[in-house]
Amino acid sequence: MASLVSSPFTLPSSKTDQLSSISQRHLFLHSFLPKKANCHGNSSRSSLRVKCAAIGNGLFTQTTPEVRRIVPDKNNNNQNLPTVKIVYVVLEAQYQSSLSAAVRALNSTNKDASFEVVGYLVEELRDEATYKTFCKDLEDANVFIGSLIFVEELALKVKAAVEKERERLDAVLVFPSMPEVMRLNKLGSFSMSQLGQSKSPFFQLFKKKKTSSAGFADSMLKLVRTLPKVLKYLPSDKAQDARLYILSLQFWLGGSPDNLQNFLKMISGSYVPALKGTKMEYSEPVLYLDTGIWHPLAPCMYDDVKEYLNWYGTRRDADEKLRSPNAPVIGLILQRSHIVTGDDGHYVAVIMELEARGAKVIPIFAGGLDFSGPVERFLIDPISKKPFVNSVVSLTGFALVGGPARQDHPRAVEALSKLDVPYIVALPLVFQTTEEWLNSTLGLHPIQVALQVALPELDGGMEPIVFAGRDPKTGKSHALHKRVEQLCTRAIKWAELKRKSKEEKRLAITVFSFPPDKGNVGTAAYLNVFASIFSVLKDLKYDGYNVEGLPETPEALIEEVIHDKEAQFSSPNLNIAYKMSVREYQKLTPYATALEENWGKPPGNLNADGENLLVYGKQYGNVFIGVQPTFGYEGDPMRLLFSKSASPHHGFAAYYSFVEKIFKADAVLHFGTHGSLEFMPGKQVGMSDVCYPDSLIGNIPNVYYYAANNPSEATIAKRRSYANTISYLTPPAENAGLYKGLKQLSELISSYQSLKDTGRGPQIVSSIISTAKQCNLDKDVALPDEGEELPAKERDLVVGKVYSKIMEIESRLLPCGLHVIGEPPSALEAVATLVNIAALDRPEDGISSLPSILAETVGRNIEEVYRGSDKGILKDVELLRQITEASRGAITSFVEKTTNKKGQVVDVSNKLTSILGFGINEPWIQYLSNTKFYRADREKLRTLFEFLGDCLKLVVADNELGSLKQALEGKYVEPGPGGDPIRNPKVLPTGKNIHALDPQAIPTTAAMQSAKIVVDRLIERQKVDNGGKYPETIALVLWGTDNIKTYGESLAQVLWMIGVRPVADTFGRVNRVESVSLEELGRPRIDVVVNCSGVFRDLFINQMNLLDRAVKMVAELDEPAEQNFVRKHALEQAQSLGIDVREAATRIFSNASGSYSSNINLAVENSSWNDEKQLQDMYLSRKSFAFDCDAPGAGMMEKRKVFEMALSTADATFQNLDSSEISLTDVSHYFDSDPTNLVQNLRKDGKKPSAYIADTTTANAQVRTLAETVRLDARTKLLNPKWYEGMLSTGYEGVREIEKRLTNTVGWSATSGQVDNWVYEEANTTFIQDEEMLKKLMNTNPNSFRKLVQTFLEANGRGYWETSEDNIEKLRQLYSEVEDKIEGIDR
Amino acid sequence: MATNSLHCSIQQHHNHHFHIKFQPPTTFSASQLFLKPSNITNNITLSHSSSGSSSFSCVTFSLSQATSTTPSSTSQESVSFEVLKQHLTAEEYQKADEETRRLLIVLAGEAAQKRGYVFFSEVQFISESDLKTIDELWRIHSDNKFGYSVQKKIFEKSNEDFTKFFIKVGWMKKLDTEMEQYNYRSFPTEFIWELNGDTPEGHLPLTNALRGTQLLYNIFNHPAFDEEQEQEEGDDVVAAVEDKGLKEKDDSSLAKRVFKPNYSF
Repeated sequence: MASLVSSPFTLPSSKTDQLSSISQRHLFLHSFLPKKANCHGNSSRSSLRVKCAAIGNGLFTQTTPEVRRIVPDKNNNNQNLPTVKIVYVVLEAQYQSSLSAAVRALNSTNKDASFEVVGYLVEELRDEATYKTFCKDLEDANVFIGSLIFVEELALKVKAAVEKERERLDAVLVFPSMPEVMRLNKLGSFSMSQLGQSKSPFFQLFKKKKTSSAGFADSMLKLVRTLPKVLKYLPSDKAQDARLYILSLQFWLGGSPDNLQNFLKMISGSYVPALKGTKMEYSEPVLYLDTGIWHPLAPCMYDDVKEYLNWYGTRRDADEKLRSPNAPVIGLILQRSHIVTGDDGHYVAVIMELEARGAKVIPIFAGGLDFSGPVERFLIDPISKKPFVNSVVSLTGFALVGGPARQDHPRAVEALSKLDVPYIVALPLVFQTTEEWLNSTLGLHPIQVALQVALPELDGGMEPIVFAGRDPKTGKSHALHKRVEQLCTRAIKWAELKRKSKEEKRLAITVFSFPPDKGNVGTAAYLNVFASIFSVLKDLKYDGYNVEGLPETPEALIEEVIHDKEAQFSSPNLNIAYKMSVREYQKLTPYATALEENWGKPPGNLNADGENLLVYGKQYGNVFIGVQPTFGYEGDPMRLLFSKSASPHHGFAAYYSFVEKIFKADAVLHFGTHGSLEFMPGKQVGMSDVCYPDSLIGNIPNVYYYAANNPSEATIAKRRSYANTISYLTPPAENAGLYKGLKQLSELISSYQSLKDTGRGPQIVSSIISTAKQCNLDKDVALPDEGEELPAKERDLVVGKVYSKIMEIESRLLPCGLHVIGEPPSALEAVATLVNIAALDRPEDGISSLPSILAETVGRNIEEVYRGSDKGILKDVELLRQITEASRGAITSFVEKTTNKKGQVVDVSNKLTSILGFGINEPWIQYLSNTKFYRADREKLRTLFEFLGDCLKLVVADNELGSLKQALEGKYVEPGPGGDPIRNPKVLPTGKNIHALDPQAIPTTAAMQSAKIVVDRLIERQKVDNGGKYPETIALVLWGTDNIKTYGESLAQVLWMIGVRPVADTFGRVNRVESVSLEELGRPRIDVVVNCSGVFRDLFINQMNLLDRAVKMVAELDEPAEQNFVRKHALEQAQSLGIDVREAATRIFSNASGSYSSNINLAVENSSWNDEKQLQDMYLSRKSFAFDCDAPGAGMMEKRKVFEMALSTADATFQNLDSSEISLTDVSHYFDSDPTNLVQNLRKDGKKPSAYIADTTTANAQVRTLAETVRLDARTKLLNPKWYEGMLSTGYEGVREIEKRLTNTVGWSATSGQVDNWVYEEANTTFIQDEEMLKKLMNTNPNSFRKLVQTFLEANGRGYWETSEDNIEKLRQLYSEVEDKIEGIDR
Repeated sequence: MATNSLHCSIQQHHNHHFHIKFQPPTTFSASQLFLKPSNITNNITLSHSSSGSSSFSCVTFSLSQATSTTPSSTSQESVSFEVLKQHLTAEEYQKADEETRRLLIVLAGEAAQKRGYVFFSEVQFISESDLKTIDELWRIHSDNKFGYSVQKKIFEKSNEDFTKFFIKVGWMKKLDTEMEQYNYRSFPTEFIWELNGDTPEGHLPLTNALRGTQLLYNIFNHPAFDEEQEQEEGDDVVAAVEDKGLKEKDDSSLAKRVFKPNYSF
């Protein structure tokens, strides 16, 4: 073992192999990119050539309207007939075949006119050439028809083109679409140009339901029904035109070729001048049920579920299994338009697949956009209130209420809660053809992701499986047979959960472990995993599940899982649950051969013993606790750097084959944030057969405990591994407090305040200065030399600044210890959280923050106080401290009043009512009456405390176990947003199915507001640090979670830097930007290099598109270069690269599709890197993929040259912290994405850029330098006794948490060089020199302790920490000592 | 018109009305026709709507229906196997393919004809001999290269994996992406309508995957093809299960599946 010492920062390779059992989450460059640059037409003998998505026009779809063009045959006998030309634009390709059939039939039978038709799918209009054709087609068209045009960009294009021709056109018919397009409607005297303004009763109908959701389309339907009443109010000729409009709508919604034929006859006969006089006979529309039940075998549609079930029972084709009363019943939700237009093949496929697998179906449909009514009507027994179904699959892809228009999620949630079964939302391809989807690395079209993945999630919808493709020629949907199989088996599995007894249910609990080290088994953010598992299992056992042989304590549970009982020594191996022969593995794992390209023949050497594949874990009755295998690449720098198309290794695949096919799990429970399955290669969203997350999870329902504060990665788990994510609370936060020297300082300052005018002032200041220096505060505050005489005023300022720094440290929030599922915080533990909740103004709810109420009472504005305190004005620092103290006191007294003796909250609302009943007794008033804030506004306080009372109730609520049990019983788990409970208390109570947000809703106006403040402060700060010069370029990082929590603040920051603002459409969706004038901006436009995290890319590709458009727009503005740095740089880059300005203005980067992170974190965690240059290469090679708004369908394209050039202009780097609990050294991804050192190397002058971190988590938003933030973080966490003692109290996991902070600190040294020597030195003093501490660490988790020691040695070896030879010698000795201990060698 | 596979009955019963309840279709077909057995026994009587306008959504394997909208011009005689035989004898495989699908629909019963496609659970109503006849005709006229029984063997060799099967019989094409991916071939242009050395075994007749794979699965598991279940071992099966014991287990389960379809998973 001594050999290690010479190279302390490489893991012995033999160890890597032995430890390979453990898992790894990160991803490697992988792609589905077409192999050749140009691949059209090669293998295709098809008459219509379908090109690869990335080629051609670079858009998402390459289909052309030509397949929808029908020109009447002029050689026919009726060549002299007048021609009616119809141009249509639709979202729904299902109309294509029906319309084509109608027109063909008309041309073959009609004697009065011949019809020419051409149709455009909305998405095709993105292509400039196609758009031109569209405009040209309109020039000689008679009739225009549009339907479901809800994408703003394209709606505006349609509007512009049709508006030009509107006067000339004989008729314009627009069915439910954005108001802008609806206004184009014209039918004789009938027009909708007044839509939204007119007072006429006709339009009132449209407006009526405005508040409720799906309103628009639904009120149109109502309009159809209430037609006679409406017509009474209209003059007669108008009435005729309006009637024809309503009839048109009925024809359209009727959708069949017959209906469309009659529709075209009616419109042409009535409005085409050439046909005036000829009498075009048409039949009335054939109407179908608006909502009902449809089955391909049934003789009719039903509008009564009992009748349907009666018919179902008489089916003579049904086999025994399907007839069984025990057969699972699946509810299906279908779109009426697919049924009436006859484009139902994909629906039939799902019905057949389910029935063939022995599941009954109840397929319901609705024509409107609100399915909540039909769901309640057809799927719930009106008498027993129990559902008829065991699970529900929506095949529409849309949100339950509102479709593509205006959603009403609360109403959907209400209906689904009543139904109370698992709710799956699968989707057909709408904007892409099958081949385009298969070829795309993005997978599903981003707009479809926004409409049909993100929005259904807000309803609690799960499993966005693409089950149907679209044929480029006919526009028809067709089944994707493997996807249909996947969807149906999963739907049945969920249904089985509803039917099976608890005792027979088999549950596979999967825990994670990274970096791969035995000390890390059971890693999860903020969660004490084994204690939680233990608590969950105890509860399940009590509930009736079979958990035979569960040990008595969590510690015993850990022992049983992590120790191989058969091994002679305390070996490094985990307990082996199953040995799978290679043959069995291949048989059970159909995709095993696909893994051989990367990993060779099975078994390989990961999770294998040479002959068999090993599954680690332990079984208790029907519960299996397993350890998810390692990714397998860690420790191999070459692979970290160059690996393309990585795949899970055989051991990884074997684990999931075991869970599904040998253990036969009814459900898998992934335990805590987060594992690696969902980060495996594949499409971003909308998995295909060859995407690994989909293959791995197979048919097992996936329940996933996920930290409530991480909605972005939870969403990845949802979309890519079909998880029902159940949120858990992060541990209650406490104020960091003060310790050691910092505490002394605070005492000195308080005596200075009382004695400063007594003549002892200078003396105390001098001790303050020397103590501050001892505490290494000299870098944060400019301290004068100790002997220096200071005038009284400057003394105050110095003290004020030190004081302000100390207060900043003291009031930092830190999560103490780790959360245990089923153990909510006590009320008193929630105080710090409540204080922070109370510190934010919530104008939208009419709630003033406590600090602002308190400041008012002494005649101050809280913002002013914050500013003053930041500047170090002693008076303000002191006032702020008093306000903080009073806030804590008031809230503590309130909490004490609402809790019982055990510290549990007892019915807050009752307590509150009684409290509020007698104003005099309000506990906060009582408390404040003894402070200087006794005159605080009682009304405001009352409103605030009512709100806090609700929050308190939610913080201490315990739904995490309850929701898990609901999921396992096949019930609906209520959805809820993820995020920071302080900003958004709706996150509480935890135990919700976490979702993100409507990606098109951000950035909000409020986010834009806050963004401006941060950007302005950042620029100010940079100017101060940089001789008054504006930064030309800022390199920044966009995080998914950050943007979810703040509703797009950092997104808005980018926009504000370059001087543009977002513009929302009528539905409040942001798809457009406009530039802010230079006058208004008052400064130059600052160039940006935006690096989006892989998760951001997956969740917000539309916003990347928006940003790219914004940057390109700014680069093309005709402005002087010194006022527009974007343009300045783009011009330079265009010249030196020989490209045009627009292309040079490429600033929005991320990883390649399906790949996440720069891998620097991996390299650092595993100490597998040689020098910083190597890390920077990793960064460049993995992060230089750009998104291009001019070729969005091409996905992420490598543009390393532009990336490097853009980075080389950066004067500053910048990131946002996204929550009060997660800071720089808590997670590895902040340093993983930090380019500070890299920029320095790229800059021509070699100057190190300034590095900033914004912290908007507290009321007083701050922009600090990176170095300041690292110091602050070290002081409040790693070096803070309150923090590490809290961690150590959780035992095994706690040691790992300490080690993790140190490793992440080394990461910051490596990427930014902004870590001070004293941080390592003090860490060494705290954890190594303290014998007692050292023993505790070593005994509790020797594996993590070894890594801690190794990291110290590494920090020294790499030159980040200079220390005495004694220290190093001690560490070396410790290393071999702990090594021997782990190996079981007794000395 | 012909591309419309809309439920006829729906149209009928909701004409002008909203809430008409189901009544059995009474006016269906003008002429009752009997299948004329050629040289095989046939014990099913089938009715077939022969009017030219009968809405017949062609059942194509792949995505396009527009091109194959018209049922073969010969309407009245087409319900016997004679037409199929003629097409096959003339090596007009595309016509034979269309005729086969039409026959299958006719054989599956009245409801299937109205609907225009066969629902998987209707396959059981097709007689063993009819299905065999169709299969035999194909095999005879293709040197045993085409036909359901040929496809069934390939399907079994593919470990009952439809994707593998589709690739083998040439119904899916490889895409030019880094990951190996396949898409369905476009009908009819991308299929091979002649019998030559390049035509993959089992390429014809096509069965629609527009509505999933259950129809084809049920055809393969129809008793008509039971005896085709010989002792043959597919190479893939051998590759995957070398172990003797496992092989036996596999065989028996296969056999079981054939006799009694089991859709459990």
